[in-house]
Amino acid sequence: MILPAVFLLSASAIALEILLARVFSITQWNHLSFMVISIALFGFAVSGAALNLMEARRPGSAARLTTEPAIRRLVVLFCVSGIAAAAGITRLPLDYFRLPVEPVQSLYLLAAYLLPAVPFFFAGLITALAYAARPETSGRVYFASMAGSAAGALLPALLLPVWGEERLILICIAFPLAALGYGGRSDPARRGRRAAIRLSAIAGAGIAIGTILTVPAVSRLVRIAPSPYKGLSQILQFPDSHITRTRHSLQGRIDRIRSPYVRFAPGLSLKFSGKLPVQHPSFCDGDNPLVRYSIRHPDDLDFCRFTTSHAAYTLTGTPASVLVIQNGGGLAIPCAMAAGAGEITVIEANPILAGMLRAHYDLPVIRDAPRAYLARTDRRFTVIHLENWGASMAGAAALNQDHTFTTEAMDACLSRLSDRGVLLITRRLLLPPADSIRLFATAYEALAGRGVDQPENHLAMLRNWDTFTLIVSARPMENADRLKRFARERNFDPVFLPHIKPDTANRFNVFDRPFHYRAIQGLLAGYQSGTARAFFRTYPLDVAPQSDQRPFPGRFLKWSRLPELHRSTGGRLYSLLMSGEIVVAAVFVEAFAVAGILLLLPRWARNRVNQPPGGGRFRLFFLAVGAGFMFVELYFIKSYTLLFGDPVISFAVVLTGILIFSSIGGLCSQRLGRRGLVPSLLALMLCLVLLAAGLPPLISRVLRFAEPLRFFIGLMLLLPPGILLGLPFPLGMRLLPGSAEHRAEAWTANGCTSVLTSILSAQIALTLGIRAILISGFLAYAAALLGAVQWKVNGETGGQ
Amino acid sequence: MKPIIAALAAVAMIFSFTVATGRTDDSTGFRQARERLVYGELRRQGIADTRILDTMARIPRHRFVPAALADQAYANRPLPIGEGQTISQPYIVALMTENLALTGSERVLEIGTGSGYQAAVLARLTAEVYTIEIKEKLHRRSHRLLGELGLENIRTRQGDGYFGWPEAAPFDGIMITAAVDHVPPPLLEQLKEGGRLILPLGNPFHYQNLVLITRRGDDFTVRQITGVLFVPMTGFALDKDRRASEDRP
Repeated sequence: MILPAVFLLSASAIALEILLARVFSITQWNHLSFMVISIALFGFAVSGAALNLMEARRPGSAARLTTEPAIRRLVVLFCVSGIAAAAGITRLPLDYFRLPVEPVQSLYLLAAYLLPAVPFFFAGLITALAYAARPETSGRVYFASMAGSAAGALLPALLLPVWGEERLILICIAFPLAALGYGGRSDPARRGRRAAIRLSAIAGAGIAIGTILTVPAVSRLVRIAPSPYKGLSQILQFPDSHITRTRHSLQGRIDRIRSPYVRFAPGLSLKFSGKLPVQHPSFCDGDNPLVRYSIRHPDDLDFCRFTTSHAAYTLTGTPASVLVIQNGGGLAIPCAMAAGAGEITVIEANPILAGMLRAHYDLPVIRDAPRAYLARTDRRFTVIHLENWGASMAGAAALNQDHTFTTEAMDACLSRLSDRGVLLITRRLLLPPADSIRLFATAYEALAGRGVDQPENHLAMLRNWDTFTLIVSARPMENADRLKRFARERNFDPVFLPHIKPDTANRFNVFDRPFHYRAIQGLLAGYQSGTARAFFRTYPLDVAPQSDQRPFPGRFLKWSRLPELHRSTGGRLYSLLMSGEIVVAAVFVEAFAVAGILLLLPRWARNRVNQPPGGGRFRLFFLAVGAGFMFVELYFIKSYTLLFGDPVISFAVVLTGILIFSSIGGLCSQRLGRRGLVPSLLALMLCLVLLAAGLPPLISRVLRFAEPLRFFIGLMLLLPPGILLGLPFPLGMRLLPGSAEHRAEAWTANGCTSVLTSILSAQIALTLGIRAILISGFLAYAAALLGAVQWKVNGETGGQ
Repeated sequence: MKPIIAALAAVAMIFSFTVATGRTDDSTGFRQARERLVYGELRRQGIADTRILDTMARIPRHRFVPAALADQAYANRPLPIGEGQTISQPYIVALMTENLALTGSERVLEIGTGSGYQAAVLARLTAEVYTIEIKEKLHRRSHRLLGELGLENIRTRQGDGYFGWPEAAPFDGIMITAAVDHVPPPLLEQLKEGGRLILPLGNPFHYQNLVLITRRGDDFTVRQITGVLFVPMTGFALDKDRRASEDRP
């Protein structure tokens, strides 16, 4: 019975993990959805520590807990605690926004962390029991766990559009009840009724699911509502404002709103005295609106000609073709229409939003990752408008991986411009200057990389009081005077123009100093004197261009300058806590402390004479294997974000693939004996070396393929490392002599390093780049190899 | 038995009265905290207008926040007041009010009444205040509270502030505390010659700077006021000692 329970609970646990990330994304911001991985692994790690303690106190606990009645109880406890957790966290008055001003929010945050850890504890406990009680079948246990997890990873992707987050969470928690029908092999009297019992259990699970779907009171146990500070919550408080339709997908919950009070026009000049057209917003996860404009009359487009974005169109005249790369906002399409564009093509990665734009504007809207489209198409455009407003809070997007603002992305856009084409990007103006400098630098380096002499002659930047527009021209700007005139007429200030005069940089939207102008001038001086690296090093924020290996355009923090940043933003702690990177660091410190307790506590409780054979080497092995697996998995998740254009899709594909293939590896491990451990580690390390060298260029090539082929190739690339990843842990478990508590300790070690690695990987990627994650994985497996070799040398392995 | 019941009833009544009046009572503690905030912290942060300081020292901010947060009312930070709304940091209130340059005879429009605190401050410094709030709950709450404070020169309205208050226009000063990504053109039209429009940028817990717009005929000048909200960072590109003329490459 235990293997079906492992399979079903693993499936449920992974599905729950993905859905909890969705819950936090909707109710809070991305900071907390990142925490979910840590919560799940924490639950697993605690289960190992608990089992270890139980064995230390009462030897034979593992065997007692693997009886069929005990397993049934654990399954029921998982379901009950899961429902309680899901209902509880969606009812907590947790609001991350208020954390700095309401101390009680930290208690709510703690509750939001601990409550969902409980069902993961029970799921982890069943798996730990399976390993502890039956080490000789570690490969099969591993297979059941990983295959179940893979199946669970697919469920949200397939079923979210059908049932939504609230009902699907309950369904995913309930279906493991089918495991109750398994068992009875040991009881001859029950053999005849085994099929009937199994069917009853499955029917019971089905009834539970049916109840969830049909009884509103049950499905309302879980209520997911965005923070009151999110845009959606704000607008629903206005009169005559309501949601007209909600659609769910792994990429986000899209709410369409009808409200007469939506007026989106960032960068609008004070000189505009007309009216804005009626607007129809849609919110993704309660924020990041995409607005569709009702254009009933040409006059409805007048407002576009008074925005900073329109500056680019003064250079091109009436453009023959415009490519809009859409990611929130919605201003780009009417801007292109206002310019009289001959052809407008829109790229939107979210299928729901793509459909809405297509239906509303009757334009060709391509549903694909922007980088994939740019790699694939041979079309050239007069204007490419990259619309992405980023986070409204400085620091909130620090963890966001985005491949549309890297030097490679800029190069891809430039390669798709016609001879007189321009690329235009409008974003929010921040203090201290950061985003504007980074984008300018990215464009400069992309132009230089294409062999352009004096890239500054191809660049322009305008601003008003809270937005800036960067214009990158395929040719040197011959008609910059048009931009100057446009800026003067609209009361915008140039941040940079070819041959800009300093006294024009701070004329209409006056700062105490022309901060942004000065920063760009300093950067340019650096490029021209060959000291740009020194500029980036000495600038108080990290504003260096991002690459596909380090694609975090929202990340500006320099830890060494943290005190200065704190002073610069008015000495308010709040501004720092909004930084996702600081949240990562805080979570890591907490997780490190907890991991230490979980690993040390059982050892203190254990009889000193009952130490595992090769204590240090055995721990090194399992700690390293746990870390290595997560490093490799996260490397693929981050690398594939470029391939699929969306971190959530990447997560789902990689998780499914790695788990399926590693489950096969686990089965294969059953055929390997003692001698297989070291060669399997060596083979894995060689595979990682090949990946480090070959995967990035391979992804660049595969990017131009159609989406189904990208998915297939991406999945197949996971096969060799996936199988190899599935070998070390079950082999180690099988070869580890000693008692159940030692195997429980191995499970704990694996869980603890998985938690720490998942958090650490985020910081490694931010600071050193994505490839450094794989290097870390290689080093982890090298450490595992060291442990395994010493194990073998000392003849301390048991089993076969 | 009867004396016990009577005693319990009396205790209950006293308790209820205390709870009910706790927020409205301007205790010595609240007054002292308010004065420390205003004459200590705000003055240190550069708020020099004594009329504003004296006004803020008189207005009980704790009455504008939820009872559970009353003890934080005189901390120099924003506070949540429900419905996804905040009461602004006192420094922001003072800075915005100071930059309206009120002399006492003006007519001022506020878009986004919120808690009503800013309107209360304005009401003591100028002749007429018009304030609009689109959210019904906030409007009712602030309307009631401003009435209880006896501020008769405030007119409140629930409605769409985007179009201002045309019947009362033009205004000497307009303050926008609702979230906007552009300045509504109708509000610019309702600004008097020489009038000032001010709005904060950023989110309620993290305003970065203020935008002050002054009208001169058909032209508008926009000034970014950072106060202590933003201290220029030293560094290669942002050396304060460098003059603009030195910035040419």
